Amino acid sequence: MDIRLQGLLVGILFGVLLQRSRLCFNSAIRDIKMTKDNYLMKMALIAVLVETIGFHLVAQLGLIKLNPLPFIPWAQIVGGFLFGMGMVLAGGCASGVTYRIGEGYITAFVAAIFFGITASAVRGGPLQLVNNWFGKPITTINNPSGLYAVTDGKVNLTLANLLNIDPWIIAIVFSLLLLAVIFVWKTTERKVTGLNWIWGGILVGLTGIIAYISQKSYALGITGGWINLLRTTTGELDLSKGVPYNWIGMEVLGIIIGAFISAILSKEFKLRMPKDPKTFVQVALGGILMGFGAGVARGCNVGHILSGLPHLAISSLVFTVFIVLGNWLMVWYLFERK
Amino acid sequence: MVNVKPDYTLDERGEVCPIPDVDTRKKLKEMKSGEILEVLIDYALSKERIPAGVKEVGGEVIAIEEIGPSEWRILIRKL
Repeated sequence: MDIRLQGLLVGILFGVLLQRSRLCFNSAIRDIKMTKDNYLMKMALIAVLVETIGFHLVAQLGLIKLNPLPFIPWAQIVGGFLFGMGMVLAGGCASGVTYRIGEGYITAFVAAIFFGITASAVRGGPLQLVNNWFGKPITTINNPSGLYAVTDGKVNLTLANLLNIDPWIIAIVFSLLLLAVIFVWKTTERKVTGLNWIWGGILVGLTGIIAYISQKSYALGITGGWINLLRTTTGELDLSKGVPYNWIGMEVLGIIIGAFISAILSKEFKLRMPKDPKTFVQVALGGILMGFGAGVARGCNVGHILSGLPHLAISSLVFTVFIVLGNWLMVWYLFERK
Repeated sequence: MVNVKPDYTLDERGEVCPIPDVDTRKKLKEMKSGEILEVLIDYALSKERIPAGVKEVGGEVIAIEEIGPSEWRILIRKL
């Protein structure tokens, strides 16, 4: 099957699941602080748990090589922090604003477009010089059990290859820790009309594993997809040579289509607009911060949290810490400050 | 439709996440015991999240009614 068709189908599946489970990392991170509500956070933890085992398993079976995102310390610190603040202003994370386009949110569309344009400018566009501020990736030559992808003899850092021990040891310890948190932390009650936190988490996790087997180079992502969609659609093309849409570009398009179908079927589609036009400025600014952050950090909440944490990548662990700090700071500033 | 006359109405349709939740909590904190707040929303996540969130600020959901395509009316009593 054509790789782009595979991307589209995986995207549609992911879009349906996001719409039905309402999984949004902005809400998940914010709610545990603002309303002491852990419902979506626990869903995200289950997805990460399923993927941690799944990614290592499919790599062990030889279906893929684990390909953690490059560790560029200041890029993930600054990028994560800006992304974390931006998603509060935008009213959703990168996957959140993407799937809500399919539900009819005009603000999500505005945020996603500003996110995609800014990320495109940072990655290979007119703003690419900003990457020089953050330096080059720190890599290793360790490749315990040979599970990791090697580029020019270099492997991107994870906890396992940093310590040069079998990745399964770290994966199993991390999974047990996640399981302990999931069992001990009491789930906030919520009457859901879609997928509950357990099913939402399991199905999103399985979709991540399917995505990795299909795309090969990585699992689910958002930032690269928006860049591919915008750049290819607006670029000067030689149509005789085939249009360079790729797996992840089609996956992002699929998310919007999947969420749209799911929203229509569950009678949740509606074109929604805020009453105060200033909201558009706020979400656009949020999108710009997210695009800059994900651009320099080499990934957004999906690339680094949903797909990155299961690798135990150092880049993704750092990004995740700073996305949480950025989110909590902006939540305090916008909603909690007296 | 539940036949209760609300003392206050918040129209949160079209607002960005989590403004409907934040405004509802803020309003409930100001209200007097026994008063009724009506919140109009069109955001499914808020419909599921508000009932859990209002308990913390002394509110109790009396009813959630569908009033249109992806639009709901939530009635909350301040305890």
